[in-house]
Amino acid sequence: MASAQHVLLSPAELAYLHSSLSLTPPIRPDGRTPTQFRPLVAETGILPGTNGSARICFADGTEAIVGVKAEVEKTRSRHDDETVFVEGAGDDGEEEETDDITRTGESDWIELTVEIPGLRDDDSATAFLAAMLSEALLADGGLVKRLWINRRFHWKLYLDIILISPPLSYPLPLLSLTTHLALLSTRLPRLKSEGDEDPFFDDDWAAAPYLYPRQQTATPTAKSAPRSPATRPPITLLVMAVANNILFDPSKEELAVADAALAVSVTSSTRSDENDDGDGDDSMDVKEKKGRNLRLLSIRTVDPPSRLTPPGVANSSNAAYGVAGNGNGKATEGRTAVAEGEAVVEGVWRAPRGGAKRAVMAALVQKALERGGVVDEVFDALEGVELG
Amino acid sequence: MTDRRRINGPVGATIPPVFEDTLTQELKAVKKRSRPPNAIRKMYLKTGVTPSASGSAYLEIETTGKPGVSGLKLSCSVHGPRSLPRSSPFSPHMVLSTHVKYAPFATNKRRGYLRDPIERDLGTHLEAALRGAIIADRWPKSGVDIIISIVEGDQDRETSKFQGDEMWDMMNALSGCITVASAALADAGIDCVDTVAGGVAALVQESGDDSTSPNIVVDPIPSEHDKILAACCVAYLPTRDEITNLWFKGDLPASEMELYTKMVEKGIQASRHANRVLIECLTETIG
Amino acid sequence: MPITIIAPRPSRPINDPEDVVSDMSYDSEDESTDGGADLEGDIPMKSSGTSRSRGPRLFSKTDSDIVTPGELITSDPQFMRGHGTYLSHSQLQQGGDDNGPQAAIISSVAGTLTRTNKLLSVRPLRARYAPEVGDLVVGRITEVQARRWRVDVGAAQLASLPLSAINLPGGILRKRTETDELQIRTFFAEGDLLVAEVQQLFGDGGAVLHTRSLRYGKLRNGVFVAVAGMGGSEGGGVVRSRRQVWTMETAHGGGPVDVILGVNGYVWISKHVETATSGEAEAKTGITNMEEGVSATMYSSQNDRIGVETMREIARLRGVVTALVENGLRVDEDMVTRGYHEAVEMALVSADGVDDIYLGGEKGQQLAATLTGR
Repeated sequence: MASAQHVLLSPAELAYLHSSLSLTPPIRPDGRTPTQFRPLVAETGILPGTNGSARICFADGTEAIVGVKAEVEKTRSRHDDETVFVEGAGDDGEEEETDDITRTGESDWIELTVEIPGLRDDDSATAFLAAMLSEALLADGGLVKRLWINRRFHWKLYLDIILISPPLSYPLPLLSLTTHLALLSTRLPRLKSEGDEDPFFDDDWAAAPYLYPRQQTATPTAKSAPRSPATRPPITLLVMAVANNILFDPSKEELAVADAALAVSVTSSTRSDENDDGDGDDSMDVKEKKGRNLRLLSIRTVDPPSRLTPPGVANSSNAAYGVAGNGNGKATEGRTAVAEGEAVVEGVWRAPRGGAKRAVMAALVQKALERGGVVDEVFDALEGVELG
Repeated sequence: MTDRRRINGPVGATIPPVFEDTLTQELKAVKKRSRPPNAIRKMYLKTGVTPSASGSAYLEIETTGKPGVSGLKLSCSVHGPRSLPRSSPFSPHMVLSTHVKYAPFATNKRRGYLRDPIERDLGTHLEAALRGAIIADRWPKSGVDIIISIVEGDQDRETSKFQGDEMWDMMNALSGCITVASAALADAGIDCVDTVAGGVAALVQESGDDSTSPNIVVDPIPSEHDKILAACCVAYLPTRDEITNLWFKGDLPASEMELYTKMVEKGIQASRHANRVLIECLTETIG
Repeated sequence: MPITIIAPRPSRPINDPEDVVSDMSYDSEDESTDGGADLEGDIPMKSSGTSRSRGPRLFSKTDSDIVTPGELITSDPQFMRGHGTYLSHSQLQQGGDDNGPQAAIISSVAGTLTRTNKLLSVRPLRARYAPEVGDLVVGRITEVQARRWRVDVGAAQLASLPLSAINLPGGILRKRTETDELQIRTFFAEGDLLVAEVQQLFGDGGAVLHTRSLRYGKLRNGVFVAVAGMGGSEGGGVVRSRRQVWTMETAHGGGPVDVILGVNGYVWISKHVETATSGEAEAKTGITNMEEGVSATMYSSQNDRIGVETMREIARLRGVVTALVENGLRVDEDMVTRGYHEAVEMALVSADGVDDIYLGGEKGQQLAATLTGR
């Protein structure tokens, strides 16, 4: 949990941060605009021993590596599949038709582990991160479908996400972007066998197709992105709200004064035909030009560490305030008195209580999913990363 | 991760028996959702069931009446506030720790005794939901443990063949956990800004009629619907009108934001219903 | 542009002029075929003449001489061993020297060799802050104990601040009582930031701090940034200098802003608050008066009202400090002031106007390039 990585900040710092982030426009401590991400260095294909890999690091030294490995595994035959299986083995012609239907995957074909230095691997923060990342991968069922080899075998995909540096900020966006790039660069050996026989594969790595196949160059209009895959792996963004402001990619300090924080997972696909048939053909073209259809996969509340921050003490009730030479013992109750007091004194930090207003939650999601907004630009930028 | 201290039964290797049912046709009829789309199932909530704990509650959600479907049975106990161990650093707030554990027999597939990632994940969700509700600065330097055992996991014996059902079940379990933990917290006398309760709403598609657009139902039972497109679980504070935890998953085009908004609204509605039961239960105990 | 993704680049460009400096050491290394892989360190390498001791490094021509752990610095008995070195008696015997068993000074860290008269020491390239008496440090309370606080100052050990080493509110001079001990958290609690001076050092390197001056005490009205601290001989970070604390006038109506550069690399940038005691007249009065005049806000955690302009300029200053560090420049009054004025100039020509205070990534590099005149 976010709160597990305890941020120690003084009440005065928190009050300053909160008020500067509440301004319109907010002044972030590092001078970024609300939607601006920290600049990052990214590369893919760094690990030759994997099917796909990526590395991303921030200027402050936070760095993550993701390696994707695939293994062939026997599909556990299930009770209810048996009849179908027998049928299919005898008749080849029918198999073609049923192919699309049987091409289903199971969620345990993907195993995702997250390792964060300094945290135990069974820590709930790690479990939460891993669950959030795998949830997004599994949500549309598209990825596991690609792992299907034949009725008896499938690929098992191991995603190992390792944060190399100690977590200087909540590592979710970093891990998610790295995973995204690693999956984009993932290739599986080309299948040479046919049907349900034991699979064997092409030795030629160069011929290995990408897990996320590239779009055909057939689209004449979109010359700029001919090699971009039709569907893309999901990305998870961290969005937080302070007063009326919505900030993307918050740093650790900013998260410490958040009123609410959400992790939003989105994916994009350009295959629009099967999703909304209702739209006319021309509207489809418009979408094609705009680039992508965003799809919302998951939203999770991230417990902001702000609730666990130490409260400030107002001058009026501070025992150590002013020339209290005459009565030192009298004002000992000052600290508790303030904790009880509901009055909000300007410049004094008070940890937020309760949840987030409905409107705030809605605004967070709305802002993240805006057409042509931040997510679009993040996808654009990730597309620019050369696949090694 | 296996537990070496106990002799475990086979995990995952066995397939739960599915019994041939002669009344398949009849069952299909029962399988459909009989409740109106915005009605939640009846629930039973009682506080103070574990005398040794500082606070406790038990929640049971009714079954659908279909044989082979168990309802959700949750038992929650709250221990504390008690002083933190000496080694732990000073905390100006109450330190909250949540444990959610499925009983080994609660689901179709037997679970081990150690908490698996799913249960840990549920625990963090629950923690986020409760943290917004409690007034933690009233109890400095103290800790509270909230332990929930899921005695029965609201699973259809037959659903094992449907793919991805497990993940929708988690939503229902979480919403129950939030409600029962909130009752137990109130029973333990821990200050809260409001009573928090969980509610689930889902976007479902019935395969029978492709023409109709998917509709939103509250408190979904995965086995009652052909396909769940998306679901969300909301932890909601009714008097403050605030959300402490929101968990959405599924696959929703970003262009259809109104669907998402509606789902959250329905989730809140479900939470309000659960909250009424919660309030009723608490006043009954006191009165 | 919300996100910038930069392609990785080699950490140092090939044919960098800096490579030439260390050429000399490469030469000698080339003679032994196994290069640095001398796994059994105590077997002398068979190379002729020079062997591992590439001649005392002390007498090499280059100014900043880089040595690595285990490297012989000198065997001349007239020199004394300083920090970052150790004495060895075995090294020479293996070297085949006929001078008999003699102590050799060998480097124990990788860094630059410095010589102060007869004292030889090696300053590591990167190191944690090592406190010295009189250092002005910014620290964060991590633990409150019965009669003292433990303070994180970025050193190898937590510093300690005894209850007796702080000014009591109102500046009363008296013995600390049990009452003070009981309400120790009203002075400083966990997470609080303070500026203090290193009063004393323990043998194990732990520091004892004090805040018994009007300049020291709890920090508020500003932002904190941690950069590389004192200790490294190369690259960026805060260096010990004449003035660690100063007030500077900021542009665009930001008003005066205080900058505190802790020697330990912790930096505090805050709005300047005029206190009654900050005047010159106060400083001239006697010690008793001064103590009485201790600012009422000494232990306050309540911020004053801070204008938007001030906040923006504080953020800009913070950006300057981070940009300096990220580009390996030193952080001192001169650099920060020049960097700030440069940043203001840059913002004037920026597309987003004076509100553009972002100094990360390319902008930071641009700023650094201007400052170094490259």
